[in-house]
Amino acid sequence: MKTLLLAGTALLAMTGIATARDITVAQSSDLRSNNPGVNRDGNTDSVILHIVEGLVGYNNVGEVKPLLAESFEMSADGLTYTFKLRSDVKFHNGKAMTADDVVWNWTRYLKPETKWTCLKDFVEGGAAPVTGVKAIDASTVEITLAKPSAVFLGMMSRPECGFTGIISSESLGADGSFVQPIGTGPFMWDEWKKGEYVHLKKFADYVSPENEGKPDGMVGSKRPLADGVKFMVIPDASTVKAGLESGVLDTAEISPDLIPEFQASETMQLIVARNNGKNLFYIQTRDKVLSNPGVRRAMAMALDLDELVAAASNGTGEANGSMVSQDSVFFSDTQKKRLPYDVEAAKKELADAGYNGEPISIIANKRGNVPSFPAAVMAQAMMQQAGLNVQIEVLDYATQVDRRRSGNYQVISQSVAPRLDPALMYSFYVGDKDKNASLMWDDPKAIELMNAAYAEADQARRQKIFDEFHGAHAEGNAGDIPLRHGRCLGRDQEIEGPARLAVERPPLGSVSRRLIHHSRAGGDPRRRPFHHS
Amino acid sequence: MRANLHSLIVWTNETGEANLQSALNRGEAMLRFILSRLAMAIPTVVLVSVTVFALIRFIPGDPAALMLGDMAQPDQIAAMRVELGLDRSMPQQFLIWAGDVLRGDFGRSIVNDEAVLPLVVSRFLVSAEIVVVAVLLASLIAVPAGVIAAWRQNSLTDLALVGTATVLLSIPTFWLGLLLLLLFGLKLGWLPVLGYVSISDNLVDGLLYLVLPVVTLVIHEAGVLIRMARASTLEVLRLDYITHARAKGLSEGAVLWRHAFKNAFGPTWTMIGLILGNLLGGIAVIETVFTIPGLGRLMVDSIFARDYPVIQGCLLFVALSYVLVNLVIDLLYPLFDPRVVAE
Repeated sequence: MKTLLLAGTALLAMTGIATARDITVAQSSDLRSNNPGVNRDGNTDSVILHIVEGLVGYNNVGEVKPLLAESFEMSADGLTYTFKLRSDVKFHNGKAMTADDVVWNWTRYLKPETKWTCLKDFVEGGAAPVTGVKAIDASTVEITLAKPSAVFLGMMSRPECGFTGIISSESLGADGSFVQPIGTGPFMWDEWKKGEYVHLKKFADYVSPENEGKPDGMVGSKRPLADGVKFMVIPDASTVKAGLESGVLDTAEISPDLIPEFQASETMQLIVARNNGKNLFYIQTRDKVLSNPGVRRAMAMALDLDELVAAASNGTGEANGSMVSQDSVFFSDTQKKRLPYDVEAAKKELADAGYNGEPISIIANKRGNVPSFPAAVMAQAMMQQAGLNVQIEVLDYATQVDRRRSGNYQVISQSVAPRLDPALMYSFYVGDKDKNASLMWDDPKAIELMNAAYAEADQARRQKIFDEFHGAHAEGNAGDIPLRHGRCLGRDQEIEGPARLAVERPPLGSVSRRLIHHSRAGGDPRRRPFHHS
Repeated sequence: MRANLHSLIVWTNETGEANLQSALNRGEAMLRFILSRLAMAIPTVVLVSVTVFALIRFIPGDPAALMLGDMAQPDQIAAMRVELGLDRSMPQQFLIWAGDVLRGDFGRSIVNDEAVLPLVVSRFLVSAEIVVVAVLLASLIAVPAGVIAAWRQNSLTDLALVGTATVLLSIPTFWLGLLLLLLFGLKLGWLPVLGYVSISDNLVDGLLYLVLPVVTLVIHEAGVLIRMARASTLEVLRLDYITHARAKGLSEGAVLWRHAFKNAFGPTWTMIGLILGNLLGGIAVIETVFTIPGLGRLMVDSIFARDYPVIQGCLLFVALSYVLVNLVIDLLYPLFDPRVVAE
C-alpha cells in the first residue's frame, strides 16, 4: 500500500501536475497502535510505512539497500556493520537525524520493556544478536553482532519490525511512554479517530532517496505530492465498492470476484500487482494418512497449479512451486522446477501407497482478499479426480491459526506474509515439530540448509543453498504445497511504470494484490495521483 | 391491596393531607418496584458474565498467537499468555476480572491496550444515537399505522398496511442498507456513502450521515411494530367496553383514541422496549455496511481478534443496558395502563 501511495505522488511530479489533495484509502481494519514494530498487524504496517524509515530497506527484487543510510559496510568477519548516514534527513519536528538518534532508537528497541516484535531476533539466541550500537561520529553508526548473520539487514527491513524505523526521541512523553511517531517519512502523523480513520499529512521537508528519480520498493525515489493520506476503516467489501464508485475512496483492495466488473468499468481502473505473499497448503506429516509420502506426492501431482491459481485468482495469478519469490534475486531456473501435474501418476502413487479413500480434510478460511477458500475448492476438485477423498472445513481465521499452531489438522489452506529473504521464508516451516507443532518440514538436512542460509553472506553460495533446498522441497517431501502469487499488471494511460510490490502486509498476502483507482468519467484527471513502483 | 386502598383514599378524601400521604405511598411503592427490578437484574447480569466469560474461552483461537503473528515462536506465545494473564485457570481469571469490574475497571483491550469501559461507552453512544432516533421514528410511524389497520380491519387499507409491514420486516437489514446506499448515495448522490461524523462535532453533517442507517432501521422495525400495534388494537376493539362506548354515541375517533388506543398500546410499548434493548445491544450489520464505529462493530471485531476483555465488556454493558431499558419501559407502563401500578 505504502509503495503505491508514495510512488503515486511521484507520478504527479513527473507529469507536472501541481494540484494536490488528500488521498483516501480503504483499510479493512483499524490500527493496532501507532508505535512502529510494537503492537502491529498488516494494516498497521501499511500506515506506519508512510511515517517512518529505517537505515535500510528492500528494493523491488528483495535486495536490501540503504535508505536513511547513505551507505553501509560489513567487516570481513561479518561481525561489524558501519552505516554512513545521509546528511539531508530531517525528522517531522524539523530536527536533523544524527548518529545519536540511531543509537537512541536501537537502545530503545533492544530494551524488553519496549516490547519490540523483533526483539528475539536481535538478542542472544536470535538470528542476529546485536552486542553494541555506537556513534562513531555525527553521521556514522557502528553495529556489532555476536555472530555473522546473512539476514541481519533483511530482518531490519521487515514490516513486522516496523522497518526498524528511526524516530525522534520526542516521540515519547516525559514519562517514557510512547505518544506518536515522529519519523522521517514523507507523511507525518496527524489524526487518529479510532474505528474511523487515520490521517497523515504531507511532510513538506521530506528529502527522498535519490535513486535517479526512480521508484524502487522502499528505497527508491518517493515524494509526498498529496496533501495527506486518509486511511478509512471499511470492513465491508460492498461498501468499499460503493465508496470507490462514488469517488469517496481513491483506492482500495477488492476481492477477486469483482475483477470483471471493474475491468469493464469506465469510471474505475483495476490495477493488479504482484506481491510476495503466498498461499500454502500445509500438510500435517504426522497425520495417519498424510504421513505417507506417497499420498503427499499424489496430492501434489493431482494439482494443476497453473489452473488452480488462475481460478482462485480470477485469472490474475501465476503459479510458482517454490518458496522463493519470483521477484527475488535468488529465483533461478531451479526454483521453477516442481512435481508435474499428472493425474494418472497420482492415482498410481495412491495405489502404491495403499490409500483406500480415507477422508482428508482441508481447513480454509473465508477472509476477504485471500485465496484460502477458492484455492481449497479448486484443490478439492482436482484431488478428487485423482481419487482422493477430500473435504473442506471452513473456520474463522483465529480458529484456523489455533489449529495450525497446535498441529491439529490434516491440510490447511492459508496465506503467509511475504518474507523476501528465502532463509526467513524457510524458517517459517522448517524445524523440529516436537518443539514447534506449527512447523512442517522436520528434516535434519533441511534444518542444516536453513542454518547455513542464515549464516552465509555470499550471494552465490546462498543461491546454491536455496537451489539445494528447492530440490529437496520439490520432491514433495516437505509437507506443503506452495501456491505462488500471480502477476497481472493493470495500466492506465496516466500511470507509468510497472506494478510491483516487493513488501506486502499479511492480510494482503493473497494471490495478487488488487487496487482500484477511482477516476470519474470526464472528471479532473488530476484526481489520479497513484503510480506503482 | 395496599395500593388499591390508597387509590380509594385518593378518590374519597379531598384533604391535602390524604393526597400527600397517597403520593408518599405511591412513591414508596414505586421505589420498591424499581429496587425489586434492579435486584432481579443482578442474577441476569451475573449469569451473562459467567456465560460470556466461559463461552469465549471455549472458542478455539489464542489472542496471544493472533497478536504476535505467524513468525512467533511457542515460547514467545507462552510469554504473551503469561503477560495477558491467560495462563491462569479460568475460575482465577474470572474472579480477577469480576473483582476488577466491581471496582469499575473493565480491563484493557488485548489488541490495542485501550481501557475497555471508555471504549465501550464511546462506541455505545454512537450506536445509541442511531438506535434511539430510529426506534422513535419507527414508533411514530408504525403505531398509528397499526391502529388504523386494526380500525379498518379487512379493508384495502388494512391489507395494504399489513402487506407492507410483512414485506418490511422480511427484508434483511444488510440488503436494505446496501440498496439504500446504492440508490441515495451512489445513484442520486444525495447522501454520504460512507464515513461517520458525530452530531456533537457537526450537527448538519452528523445528521446527513445518520439518515441512511436510521432509515434502514426504521423501515425494518416499523414492520414489526405495525403488526404488533394492529394485533393489540384488534384485541381491545373486540371488548365490551368499546361496544358500550360506541353505543353511547361517541365518534369513531373518540372511541379509537380515547378508549381503544390507551389500552391497546401496552403490548406495543413493551415491544418497543424489547426492540430498543435489542438494537442497543448491537447493530453490527448496519454499522458494518455504513462504516459506523458503533458497539456492534466493536464486538464483532473483538470476537474475530479474540479480544476477551473487550468482548466481555461489550456484552456486560449490553446486558446492563437491556435491563435498564426494560426497567424504564416498565416504569413508564402505568402511563398507558394504570392497572399495572394498582396491581
